[in-house]
Amino acid sequence: MERSKPYPLLIASGIASGLLYLLLFLYEREILAAFTRTDGWYPALPVLAAFAFSFAHGAFTASFWEVLGVKGRKK
Amino acid sequence: MDPSATQFIDLQHGNVLALLAIGFVGGLVSGFIGSGGAFVLTPAMMSMGVPGVVAVASNLCHKFPKALVGAYQRNKFGHVDIKLGLVMAVSAAIGVWLGADIQHQIKESYGEPGSNLYVSLAFVVVLTVVGGYVLYDAITVYRSGRSDEQERVSRLARWVQSVEIPGTMMHFRTANIRVSALFTLPLGFATGLLASIIAVGGFIGVPGMMYVLGAPGLIASATELVIAFVMGFGGTIKYALHGLVDIRLAMILLAGSLFGIQLGVIGTTYVKPFMIKVVMAAIMLIVAISRGLAVPVYLTELGQLDLAPRTMAVLHMASFAFLVLALCTGGIIIVTAMLRGYRAGAMPLKESAPE
Repeated sequence: MERSKPYPLLIASGIASGLLYLLLFLYEREILAAFTRTDGWYPALPVLAAFAFSFAHGAFTASFWEVLGVKGRKK
Repeated sequence: MDPSATQFIDLQHGNVLALLAIGFVGGLVSGFIGSGGAFVLTPAMMSMGVPGVVAVASNLCHKFPKALVGAYQRNKFGHVDIKLGLVMAVSAAIGVWLGADIQHQIKESYGEPGSNLYVSLAFVVVLTVVGGYVLYDAITVYRSGRSDEQERVSRLARWVQSVEIPGTMMHFRTANIRVSALFTLPLGFATGLLASIIAVGGFIGVPGMMYVLGAPGLIASATELVIAFVMGFGGTIKYALHGLVDIRLAMILLAGSLFGIQLGVIGTTYVKPFMIKVVMAAIMLIVAISRGLAVPVYLTELGQLDLAPRTMAVLHMASFAFLVLALCTGGIIIVTAMLRGYRAGAMPLKESAPE
């Protein structure tokens, strides 16, 4: 039986991902300045941001293809 | 090293759209052949005026989350040998750490053109040698009419698997190989070293796992994603400590590449195993030409050659044209192979896969 399509996940992750990208572009200068500082814990910022974006945007892209019906074949 | 404002380009709409598109196809390639897609992304950013070292740093920062997502997805299809990936990744991490130091030293000593020349030369040499061999192997498999079967294990891999070194033998269940850790260590180290220089360790890692260790192409390409995650993670920290990661570039690339990698992963379930080699070889060789064309430009900037500005502009454009050609070629081969596999295959895309 075909599973129902993950519309709630698509919408929730889409909003989360969109917000993250919106923040990045609204505060481009401030973020770039903070993320390229080499003192203290500032170098951890790019890593933390990458995890946050991959979590939100990864869930969005996975559900995007699934909603379109594009799925892998298990051999 | 203090990052200066000149290292970070102003983002134009055209650049953002180009990065999204390049990220998508790069992700498609990564999901399919496991290694980077970064060989396209680094030169593409450099063509936009991003310094080589910032391009590599930003590429690494988009690569590890992408690899994490890709490895997670391909593990669902049983392609990932996590143990092999982690064992290779341990020595790869050391390679990354050392390679980043070399990169840093070159930039300090020879400046921006020196760094760009170093990255481009590494591209040309590795891509030509390894890409040429992978193409030769793919053609051999195709001509032999064995393209439907799983690949045969190379003579070198058979020898490697036959060597018994007590206390170092490891069994990798998914890849179905038993080899000494003393063979995986240098392979992992070389993978890491290359990754830190050109952000594409997979060009050593994937062929290494296939031809030296004897892992099937599908398993090697998926396992590379585990190594890519560890290396990208370590490399990002290293470059971030020098303030060289342009988070905007990294996250824009990630936006496109996560769409691509999901599609590339799905693609591997619809194609014949040797198609991984075909795609890998085709892209590697075309990108080698692209970077080769850029070498005289950097040599001129270093004062070693005397090219007219017009000639440099033409070379620059030709280099970028070959890059686009590589991208399109990879994307077209993958999508065509997917569609062909889907039509010939057992299952319509719209139906759910068996659980």
